[in-house]
Amino acid sequence: MPGPTPVSAATKPAQPRESPLGLTVRSILRKRSSRVALVVLGVIVLVGILAPFIAPYDPAAQPDIVALKNLPPSLAHPFGTDPYSRDVLSRVLYGARLSLTIGILATIVSLTVGVAYGAISGYMGGWLDAVMMRVLDAFLSIPRLLLLLGVLVAWPHLSVWALILFLGLSGWFGLSRIVRGQVLALKHAEFVTAAQALGASRRRILVKHMLPNLVSPIVVAATLGIAHVIVLEAGLSFLGIGVPQPLASWGNIIQDGADQVATLWWMSLFPGLFMVLTVMTLNILGEALRDSYERRS
Amino acid sequence: MSAPLLSVRDLHTYFYTEAGVAKAVDGVSFDVGAGETVGIVGESGCGKSVTALSILRLIQPPGRIESGSRIEFEGKDLVTLPDDEMRRIRGNRISMIFQEPMSALNPVFTVGDQVAEVARIHSGLGRRKAWDLAVETLALTGIPIPEERAKQYPHQLSGGMRQRVLIAMALIMKPALVIADEPTTALDVTIQAQILDLLMHLQKEFGTSILMITHDLGVIAETTSRVIVMYAGEIVEQASVTELFARPHHPYTEGLMHSMPHIGHDQERLNVIPGTVPSPTSWPHGCRFRERCPYSWDLPEREHPPLYDVGAGHVSRCHLALEPERRNHPHPPLVVVEGVGAA
Repeated sequence: MPGPTPVSAATKPAQPRESPLGLTVRSILRKRSSRVALVVLGVIVLVGILAPFIAPYDPAAQPDIVALKNLPPSLAHPFGTDPYSRDVLSRVLYGARLSLTIGILATIVSLTVGVAYGAISGYMGGWLDAVMMRVLDAFLSIPRLLLLLGVLVAWPHLSVWALILFLGLSGWFGLSRIVRGQVLALKHAEFVTAAQALGASRRRILVKHMLPNLVSPIVVAATLGIAHVIVLEAGLSFLGIGVPQPLASWGNIIQDGADQVATLWWMSLFPGLFMVLTVMTLNILGEALRDSYERRS
Repeated sequence: MSAPLLSVRDLHTYFYTEAGVAKAVDGVSFDVGAGETVGIVGESGCGKSVTALSILRLIQPPGRIESGSRIEFEGKDLVTLPDDEMRRIRGNRISMIFQEPMSALNPVFTVGDQVAEVARIHSGLGRRKAWDLAVETLALTGIPIPEERAKQYPHQLSGGMRQRVLIAMALIMKPALVIADEPTTALDVTIQAQILDLLMHLQKEFGTSILMITHDLGVIAETTSRVIVMYAGEIVEQASVTELFARPHHPYTEGLMHSMPHIGHDQERLNVIPGTVPSPTSWPHGCRFRERCPYSWDLPEREHPPLYDVGAGHVSRCHLALEPERRNHPHPPLVVVEGVGAA
């Protein structure tokens, strides 16, 4: 028989690896509301990705603008048709694809700019920080919708890419504030001093030691940000200055039926429903993520 | 003794705050020889941590190392060294062990990553090799099954284990000097002894010098060969450990020793030094310990004492060196008489 094991810790197996990300995911899945939200959102995302394969018609096709226009829901057209005889179901599915893409890409733009701006401002400090924050205050004082309306009215007929860019560039101010605050707090964290004491460079400390600690607030901001962009895009498209026709976005579809909303109820109900579900589930998940990281910090 | 490894001369580190200029370190000079363990002891706010951070040049604004200060290490003056060269010294030739093992580790990385990072920064080792070296170093610090522990996050380890990780981070490059800032303060007493043993053991193995910063005279007695006592931003006494414990000269050192709990002495309550360290924005003129001192007279009030040589490599910043007979006639210190600052 071998002798007694010298250290007690050696006798029990090491605990399984548990990364902060893994902890977050688990804590979210523990709540039923966020499980449901995740499933619903998953279905909408999947539908968007698969739109070209599951949509029954071409979303831009106008097969018979006289005979097939304004049809109420039926077996052939489950969501009805619009005043141009286009199939609303196909348009809603493609709309999911476009609206989600715009939401995600615009948010990526916001995150990139916002995180970089806030991190640099907070980390450098001093007069640079003061100047950058005053500039931010100026941006924050202009309502986002007004900013976008101004740009889009000045440059009509912008491509979807330009729209994404403007949506993204108008949405990073708040996040930037959050990131700056967190970086300021982390600057005095002992592990940052420790990293410095062990020879890490400023850039390494910012990128390797600080940013990973900001993942939680950034993920929360991103989730809520996507929802916000989707609503904004729908609003702009509804006003006719967002996504250009004949592309389908949820806001576009509602706009197509807007002047006869009392009779063409299917034109606003179905895209509206998709939008509400998407935004709601994103918000529920965002809140759950926020709870999970606030509980830990 | 040949040229010391570290030689601090006339170090002044000031903080420019709205309340005034805080002279946290106000003219400190000392040496650390190769392979030597030197202790710095003093109350909170006496300047010992700022001294440590100054050596690594980690003083953040509004703090500043004043010109005229010199910190010589391996033939270079660290005060004037360019930033990138200073960075190559940190963690490589001089490293630091911090007080709070939880907050000194980044919560989002595995401990193995954090130990390996130091090697990657300084030796340009590849990911794999740095990881292997990290595991090896963790093993040296007595962490059981280090290859598994290395994959864990700080929150999964106990306080003692985390402190071993910090020691591994400090020692992985086999630095010439390790600054240990209260390395055991946050730990249980039993773990404290283990960690100190470990440090002493690794020091012998690597021939590292250690600058041990602590408020605990017990730690000093157990680990160091020479002691520096700091008070109000200055060195007030310096001697070998045996000499200091046998013949403390400065009344502040005496007070620190009296305030240590002794096993076997039936005491209702601990002795304390009355009053607190004065504010670094306005050190008192004359002797800075005067108001808390049971021997003070008019000379300490008039004149700031120099470091007197009191024999056997023992120096003390106390005018009692001139009038030793006053030690026989203690009186209540001023803070008690006037009721200021007394707890």
